[in-house]
Amino acid sequence: MKTREERIDRLVALVPWGFGLVFGVVAVHLITLLATPSLAPNSAYRRLAESLPLGEVRLLPRATPDNPGPPFSDPFAFLAACRFDLNEGPLRLRAQADGDHPLSVSVRLDNGAIIYSGSDAQTPHGRFNILIVTRAQADAIDESREDLDEAARASAEADELRLVAPSPKGFALFRLLALRQGEAEGIGAQRAGFECKEEKPPS
Amino acid sequence: MRALIIVVFAALGLGLAATAYALRGEPGFDSVRLGPWTTWPHLGGADIDPYERAAIASEGLAPMGVNEGLLFVARADDQGAPLDSRCAYRLAGTDLPARVWTLAAYRIDGRPQPNVADRYGLTSAGLLRSSSGDFVIEAAREARPGNWLPLGDDPNFFLALRLYQAGASTLSKAYEGLSLPTISREACS
Repeated sequence: MKTREERIDRLVALVPWGFGLVFGVVAVHLITLLATPSLAPNSAYRRLAESLPLGEVRLLPRATPDNPGPPFSDPFAFLAACRFDLNEGPLRLRAQADGDHPLSVSVRLDNGAIIYSGSDAQTPHGRFNILIVTRAQADAIDESREDLDEAARASAEADELRLVAPSPKGFALFRLLALRQGEAEGIGAQRAGFECKEEKPPS
Repeated sequence: MRALIIVVFAALGLGLAATAYALRGEPGFDSVRLGPWTTWPHLGGADIDPYERAAIASEGLAPMGVNEGLLFVARADDQGAPLDSRCAYRLAGTDLPARVWTLAAYRIDGRPQPNVADRYGLTSAGLLRSSSGDFVIEAAREARPGNWLPLGDDPNFFLALRLYQAGASTLSKAYEGLSLPTISREACS
């Protein structure tokens, strides 16, 4: 029969293993949690990457009971997506609101982080002109524009919103809202004007 | 050596289980409740927390950016009873601080709820209101006069209220003075 001291000694010997287990559980939890946005097979970016070529605007199916598009989207919202990889060069987004139907643009990284969102009410004349670049591309563009005269520089930067993305891959989402049931056709014509274009990297 | 192997496998199993558990249900821990409505103020901004970010990635969601709009979800009525499409609901409210807002009924899997009218929601632009700007919406399976939000046969559903280009007061994340529609249950079949 074990003495009381022996039992206590055995319990004490388990303490380091207990701490090790707790540390291990916390470490595995945090690592998997932080890795999920980049590795989740069902993430919005990964699902787009399966079929959407870089720099192409794709109109996503509108939310209906049978739609295979983005889950939990607004039945009145028309979404268009454009995937980018800034390693291929900067990306230019353009869109023009009609003044009646709310239009917004958001820029997201492949891990889901939203680095920009804005509505037509916040842009001059409801016009979006967004240039997404890496830090190195931003510096190169600034350098190349230094040689331009003031008028040419002002023209190049007119209405331009420059976004420096902290990582090169992601997607932009255009969101146009129908105000009433049955406006789909009119809205469809407008969203065809969304533009997403890879630009030549500055030399 | 045997103890080490047991601890390593237990840590892996429990750590993965903790992550899976954290990603179940609603995203993150910083939701804000306003009556029956819940919102996640950080979901569309740069200050999103790692739990919310992991949850939206695993669900494949692309939430609205903070400057696009705000989303409120209701899974229960004012009394806390889960929404059930075998009952009718009366949503009553006044003008909301947004350029446009929409209201839609969803199945639990996040798709719009199929219904006899093939209409999956309504917008503030098409709403009938009183002269003071107040409105009443009847959510029911059968057609109703006035503002009707059709519900489907699947009893489990939730409501999503989206405020597009919401006013500055709602962007403060404190939602002071924001009055969202009440949801009261009426007759059940």
